[in-house]
Amino acid sequence: MSTVDLFAILRGLPWTVALTLGAFLAGAVLGVPLVAARQSRILPLRFLAMVFIQIVRGIPPILWLFIIFFGLGMSVFPISPFNAALAGLGLIAAANMAEIYRGALASIHFGQWEASSALNLGRWHTLTDVVAPQAFRVALPSAASYLIGLMKETAVASTIGVSELAFQGNQLSQLTFRGLEVFALVGMFYILLSLPVAWLSRVADGYLQAKVAR
Amino acid sequence: MDGAVLHLGSGKPTMTEDDTLAARGVPSAKGQARKPLIKLDRLSKHYGNHTVLDGIDLEVMPGEVLAIIGPSGSGKSTLLRCINYLEPPDGGHVSIGDISLNAAAPAGRSELSTLRRSVGMVFQSFNLFPHMTVLRNVSLAQERVLGRSRKSADERSMQLLKRVGLADKAEQYPGRCSGGQQQRIAIARALALDPEVMLFDEPTSALDPELGLEVLAVMRELAETGMTMIVVTHEMSFAENVSDTVMIMADGKIIEKGPSADVMRNPQQERTKRFLRAVHDR
Repeated sequence: MSTVDLFAILRGLPWTVALTLGAFLAGAVLGVPLVAARQSRILPLRFLAMVFIQIVRGIPPILWLFIIFFGLGMSVFPISPFNAALAGLGLIAAANMAEIYRGALASIHFGQWEASSALNLGRWHTLTDVVAPQAFRVALPSAASYLIGLMKETAVASTIGVSELAFQGNQLSQLTFRGLEVFALVGMFYILLSLPVAWLSRVADGYLQAKVAR
Repeated sequence: MDGAVLHLGSGKPTMTEDDTLAARGVPSAKGQARKPLIKLDRLSKHYGNHTVLDGIDLEVMPGEVLAIIGPSGSGKSTLLRCINYLEPPDGGHVSIGDISLNAAAPAGRSELSTLRRSVGMVFQSFNLFPHMTVLRNVSLAQERVLGRSRKSADERSMQLLKRVGLADKAEQYPGRCSGGQQQRIAIARALALDPEVMLFDEPTSALDPELGLEVLAVMRELAETGMTMIVVTHEMSFAENVSDTVMIMADGKIIEKGPSADVMRNPQQERTKRFLRAVHDR
């Protein structure tokens, strides 16, 4: 395998990284109002959020990309492959992050809410000072492993023509007929990308755990 | 009018010995006319068909220490939690000072906030915030609720931590403290908002006897400073020796209530006798 081949694959790297981070960021941000709606006291809102999450999570990611790129993109509004992938994966990430947040919130002992009420902290400060920081720590490991999962998931974007890692690999293997080497190399890049995420998550978790050791 | 009588009697306009004595159960002609700080009127609470509180009438005077004892499931904790609306009652009235809430109507946020501002609460399981230092635990609500600056809140917190004997723990996290220390921090945290009344929900039940003692010592000191306290407890010696009044509950009703020495040593009701016998026989 030549250096030229290596550079061909490397060209996919920024797209994979951009897609992963973009979709994760969108999901982490949009997941907040989504979990708020999912936990709302207003029944229709709660129901709507629940249905939304179920639908988004119930359809395979590849199908979502087809719906957005070939479905909406060809008929309703023109959209670039990258933007379509970002929108689709961001949507899925939002639903998944909302569920991760929900689990983290549920893990907070009800006594924390009660103590906050008794101290008259009010809903906003209860959330921002007491519940959210604790829930964040609980959500961190799941969020990190979801980020790694999402990074691998971005490979589906190759099906709608985003020139990310898997796409470049596919191109190259068809050009050179050396599929095994090419895809092994592509696989190695995915592993290399996941390592710092796993490491960072472990360090952060260890730090936070040491701080609030019970 | 009430105040005028006090002025003549004692020559002092503020809370006097008389008030404290009256609160300690010493009969006083002036004491009769004083206004209760807390007044519960036909307070009731149901879970489905189950009646937890069955029309509770109760008055607590300023400076009074009331111990509530009784078998589990008698509604003691629920009663306490209804006073600051941690569990909203569904019938009757709750009055604290000048605030009065009608349980039949849903309570507004500002009403609740006013009510809770005058009530401090200590829980069986402490419920300290594990992700904050001890000092932050005590200071947080002072800043958020009373609008104190970080500096003045921390000063007040250090004062209170000193009072409960834990000034040296200020920079620790609660997880590093023993159960007894955590409960004393929780007391400091509640006191930091300058409440008019302190509610204690079985404050020593999660502690071994030795650690319970250090918490009881803090509570005794608090009682001596004239704090109005309502204490749900299984500590009979606290009920007998520290509290002014003891109230026995069973099946959501008040079975018996009176000066602590009378109730504990010479109970009138058969249900009370049975409960106290069971406690003593253990």
